[in-house]
Amino acid sequence: MEAEIFNQRTDLTALNAAVAEIRQTLGNIIVGQQETINFLIAGLLADGHMLLEGVPGVAKTLSAKLLAKSIAASFSRIQFTPDLMPSDVLGTSVFDPRTAAFEYRKGPVFGHIILIDEINRAPAKTQSALFEVMEERQVTVDGHTYLMEEPFMVLATQNPIEHEGTYRLPEAQLDRFLFKIEIKYPSLEEEIMILTNQHQQKLDNELKEVKAVLSIEQIKTCRTIIKALHVEPKLIAYAAKIVHETRNNKSVYLGASPRASLAIINSSKAIAAMEGRDFVTPEDIIKVATPVLAHRIMLTPDKEMEGLTTSDMIKQIIQKIEIPR
Amino acid sequence: MNRIFAFIIFAMLTMTCMSGTVFSASVPEKVLKYDTGKVSVRKFDAEQLKNYSTERAFIYQDNLPESESWWSRSWSRFWRWFREGLQSAFKQKYSGTILQYIVIGLFVGIVIFAIFKIIGLDFKLFSGKSAPVAVPYSEAAENIHEINFNDELSTAILAGNYRLAVRLCYLSTLKRLSDKNMISWQPEKTNQAYLMEITDVEKRKSFQTLTQQFEYIWYGEFIIDQERFNLVKKNFDVFNGREL
Repeated sequence: MEAEIFNQRTDLTALNAAVAEIRQTLGNIIVGQQETINFLIAGLLADGHMLLEGVPGVAKTLSAKLLAKSIAASFSRIQFTPDLMPSDVLGTSVFDPRTAAFEYRKGPVFGHIILIDEINRAPAKTQSALFEVMEERQVTVDGHTYLMEEPFMVLATQNPIEHEGTYRLPEAQLDRFLFKIEIKYPSLEEEIMILTNQHQQKLDNELKEVKAVLSIEQIKTCRTIIKALHVEPKLIAYAAKIVHETRNNKSVYLGASPRASLAIINSSKAIAAMEGRDFVTPEDIIKVATPVLAHRIMLTPDKEMEGLTTSDMIKQIIQKIEIPR
Repeated sequence: MNRIFAFIIFAMLTMTCMSGTVFSASVPEKVLKYDTGKVSVRKFDAEQLKNYSTERAFIYQDNLPESESWWSRSWSRFWRWFREGLQSAFKQKYSGTILQYIVIGLFVGIVIFAIFKIIGLDFKLFSGKSAPVAVPYSEAAENIHEINFNDELSTAILAGNYRLAVRLCYLSTLKRLSDKNMISWQPEKTNQAYLMEITDVEKRKSFQTLTQQFEYIWYGEFIIDQERFNLVKKNFDVFNGREL
């Protein structure tokens, strides 16, 4: 049976090589978590911000740091605390007595890869400082707008909201994250491997040896390729239908926004490219639907009381919608 | 000590009573005065009174109850019948007025409901949720068990629509797999889900190739000419003839 009838229209060789290198860099240190690594790479290629959620000690911060390290770009880290002020994130104007004028000192948010650790430990006042910079890639202070350099990506970690000392992030901010990646506990075999690596001091050595495998220019090129990938009109309608269904479901109190539809299409293109295709399939859309939508919708209180999660809800919605074929 | 306290209380009470008597005794007696003013009798103009009496406001006969119309009589009869029916049903007295209001309220509610339904308004106002809206999505209601694949395929090939022809070949293969219980057909399942349902490794591999080709043509919109279509069709024919 002849399999190869069609030649690729888009050259994805460089992109796939870059993906393989990042995957290997992260995979050498993070045991298991293949899905998390894939979504981290997809988010990077789709030009989105990512929120990593998990209980303490499941390598959320390590994953984010490793992804940042594998890119030759500036990296800054902000530890969110309950007393953090917006000016601690964005920067502030300081009076310079020599020039008798106010001078703007840029905050840690100015960089390429920003790791915000424990993002949900800061109150809403500080969270709102991130709205403009996350969506519009710019900071406006004292009437002056400062544009962020490309690539600009926020990698945030958070504990589940039921945990002590955490706040629920505002919906407006959650909507600005392309993916919420839930990091689960490792399996028994994976945990044994983590302990063995630690015992043999492999982890420390490998962490020191992590080198950047992707330049800023390469990232820009990959993103340009991904934006141009093909999406069949019926698949666009399929993605829209999934998002639309979240707004009309009786169990959903707050449905997903059009920004979520855009996020599904953009990230499914990244997934398709990572699998060596220059077009999107329904599987790509289904793969990204949960990490794109789960943090954007809110269930009705009765459904929450029943123990239903937003991820379960998304799966139920997908199972109701016919695949365009 | 207690005696002294009791004496003081007694003395205070006595003084209070006495002071009341003294004050009441000092109020002067009221003297009624007669009105000695001159009374002048005013006379009304008889002509003017006559004119007034002809005005509509002074004709009280107009306010007399009119004889009951047919509608009022029927309405009263209905209420009497309704009350009596309830009384006989429940063996107790009901207030006719309250019942009237309840029935009128129900009637108004039904009318409003009917109007909302007729003009197609959704009930977001009451439920907080809008009624589901159908989105333009043409995939629904296509059942592979009801498609005449031979006719449809011939038409597509004659029209030179090879993309549609490949789609029909793929759907036809899914139908055959479903008929042979190798997959469980459900429109919501993905191609990969069907692939995983095929337990035979060789058949799965062959079907994977067909799926890949279908996806390139259907979702990837790769241009397909007759020559390429013949190659793809051959693959489908081999799978359907030999494997199934």
